[in-house]
Amino acid sequence: MKIQTSRFAEIDIDESKIIEMKGGILGFNHLDRFVMIIHEEGSPFHWFQSLEDGSIAFIIMNPFIIKSDYEPEIDDQTLEMLEVKNAEDIELMVILTICSAPVKITANLRAPLVINKQKKFASQVVLADEQYPVQYSIT
Amino acid sequence: MLILTRKLGESIAIGDDIKIEVLDIKGRQVRIGVQAPRQTKVYRGELYQVIMEQNQESTHSHSRQIEDILLKFKNNINNT
Repeated sequence: MKIQTSRFAEIDIDESKIIEMKGGILGFNHLDRFVMIIHEEGSPFHWFQSLEDGSIAFIIMNPFIIKSDYEPEIDDQTLEMLEVKNAEDIELMVILTICSAPVKITANLRAPLVINKQKKFASQVVLADEQYPVQYSIT
Repeated sequence: MLILTRKLGESIAIGDDIKIEVLDIKGRQVRIGVQAPRQTKVYRGELYQVIMEQNQESTHSHSRQIEDILLKFKNNINNT
């Protein structure tokens, strides 16, 4: 299928790669379908592009690259909702916020995206653990 | 806004499957139990607001500026 985006103009999406949000991204609960697009070869960044609203895209990355001891506790209800059967099916991503002046990148470690890689279901999870900040500086 | 007065141990039902119960009252603190279907997300109001605002700030449209920042930091981050 083809979709129009502001980031990539028209892009062709492999439908098997479409991620369905089981619990939405807070404030964007009306958006159910996203696709992950690597920023470029060798880059740790990915775009998380909405298929329903081409103007909405987040920049996300694997949190373990910036915080190797990241150990979020994902509640059973979320795992059930995402139909996670094996821990290996889980892919974790964190949403980045980029400020351009002055340049600053922060990662939201408090509310990661939890993705079931097999089923292509995802949800943003707000962790109870207060040690993880909403704005964790990575620059 | 609907305002109800409840005593300790009493509850409020919202629709068929959400129940909110007053579990304990100590001075200015109230412990509240929430029973809700698993697809209903329940958060402390102030945390919900913070995450929502952060998400709003995190939507990025394509711009030369963003692209330059990502290119600059992709190597830094991969090297750490």
